[in-house]
Amino acid sequence: MSTNSLPQTVTVTIDGTPGQAWAGQSVTAALVAAGIWPLRRNPVNGQLRGPFCGMGVCLECEVTINGRPGTRSCTAHVTDGMDIRTHTEPLPTAAHG
Amino acid sequence: MADVMAQSEADVAVIGGGPAGLHAALVLARGGLSVVLLDESDTLGGQYYKRRAEQLTAAFGDFRPRGTELIRQVRDSGVDCRTGTLVWGAEDGGRTLFTSDVRTGALGRVSTRATLAATGAYERSLPFPGWTLPGVVTPGFALHLATMDRVPVGQRVVLAGTGPFLLPVACALLEVGARIEALVELNHPYRPGFSSIGGALRQPARLAEAARYLLTLARHGVRVEQGSRVLAAHGDTQVTAVDIAQEDGSVKQLETDALCVGFGFRPSTELPRLLGCATEPDPSGTEQLPIVDADGATSVDGLYVAGDCAGIAGVHAAGVRGQLAAHAILRRLSPERPTVRLSGLRRRARALDRFAELADRLYPLPTTADIPDETQVCRCEGVSAGEIRQAAATGWNDLHGTKAATRAGMGPCQGRECGHIVAALAGRNEGAAECFAARMPIRPLPMAATVEGQEVP
Repeated sequence: MSTNSLPQTVTVTIDGTPGQAWAGQSVTAALVAAGIWPLRRNPVNGQLRGPFCGMGVCLECEVTINGRPGTRSCTAHVTDGMDIRTHTEPLPTAAHG
Repeated sequence: MADVMAQSEADVAVIGGGPAGLHAALVLARGGLSVVLLDESDTLGGQYYKRRAEQLTAAFGDFRPRGTELIRQVRDSGVDCRTGTLVWGAEDGGRTLFTSDVRTGALGRVSTRATLAATGAYERSLPFPGWTLPGVVTPGFALHLATMDRVPVGQRVVLAGTGPFLLPVACALLEVGARIEALVELNHPYRPGFSSIGGALRQPARLAEAARYLLTLARHGVRVEQGSRVLAAHGDTQVTAVDIAQEDGSVKQLETDALCVGFGFRPSTELPRLLGCATEPDPSGTEQLPIVDADGATSVDGLYVAGDCAGIAGVHAAGVRGQLAAHAILRRLSPERPTVRLSGLRRRARALDRFAELADRLYPLPTTADIPDETQVCRCEGVSAGEIRQAAATGWNDLHGTKAATRAGMGPCQGRECGHIVAALAGRNEGAAECFAARMPIRPLPMAATVEGQEVP
């Protein structure tokens, strides 16, 4: 199949900062392309975590997408105007002792 | 719950829309049966025939056009393709399946006369200090980014682990402009004489594929460091360096912004195990595989398995095994149909099995005895190898007791990342391949789905 020019870019907002991504790209790809690796804290020990398996198994890449928390960014696709929020702020208290 | 659950019926349910499931569904539908094909993903294809998004296909071309053609044939054959549908439970030998709509959480129940599990595999990880750092990923994730999304996982990438899969991942990374600092292969599969290994000659196409990848790597000056392994990853908020134990015993540090480590694949056997089918240890001695006959029939009447979930053998074997299982189901449900000659398919299946056995011999897994005590094994619950060893040694001397005592394997991934390691560290018998029990829901479900089956906000 012949290829055309680059795909259509759309605007996404990552943690309040607008940026560009290709429509249809996985949300993880948009984050990685923007150089954003830590996406969340492990709820048990507070460690920073980022995408790991890329196929919906490990659940390490969960972010908030358009207000829906706990959404796996590896299986979600970028759409125009998407709002993506990571959760890397330190945990208020350790969940376990 | 029952009154909100959508009910449906089909002669056969095929779970998993990868190569095995697609090939099986096609044979079943062309044989005149009503087939429902269920897949959690929003597109068919599975991991191998994964679909590039429409907008990216227009720009970069079709990815693996054979998959596109196969999916088109399946749709044209009248298969009821339900993507975005998670199968989270089953009973009655697989004749009743419990589903959930991935987008809405809406529950469903599918009743069938026979069921084929073609649930594939996921990557096998082995823990090392620092493997939970952001930027440490599986090779499959790097491949997905490079092929589906056209994004390099990093600018200076280290690929490590063992297995033939590292080669196509490395080539895909080069194609999107990543620099590969090193390909760190635990074993010594590539040496003069590789091309003369008997078993491989039966599959010249597969062998040529590996040779082509190695040639590409050599052309790009990528060092394939055999007999080497990752000791630890370092970094503050994400990985910045990796320690490599080299063949001569020395340790060197490489700077990196993405470390991809994988040790082959683990079959996804939850569904057949949930249904109680008889199992046996796989060749690596680290997994329990469903015991099947040559057609994929399990010990549970009416339940069949095909593809990598029945033992890792790759895409071509999955297609052939899927077809053989479908023909067996056709013989069972439509005994009046004329007999189909399957000797060619069976011969091909045996040849591909031999090739898989060769791969098992070329890429053996390392021992878990070397995992340092401080290494986190269970990523979700933050449980270290030392805690697991201690629990196993102080009376919780089996896998299930150790799980209960330490919470290892109790997090949202349900032990898919760590189960084989916890089993190896805590198991009573070396090589007996214990594994966590499969329980419903076999995949995480939104709470709203289990409570009310209502739409998830």
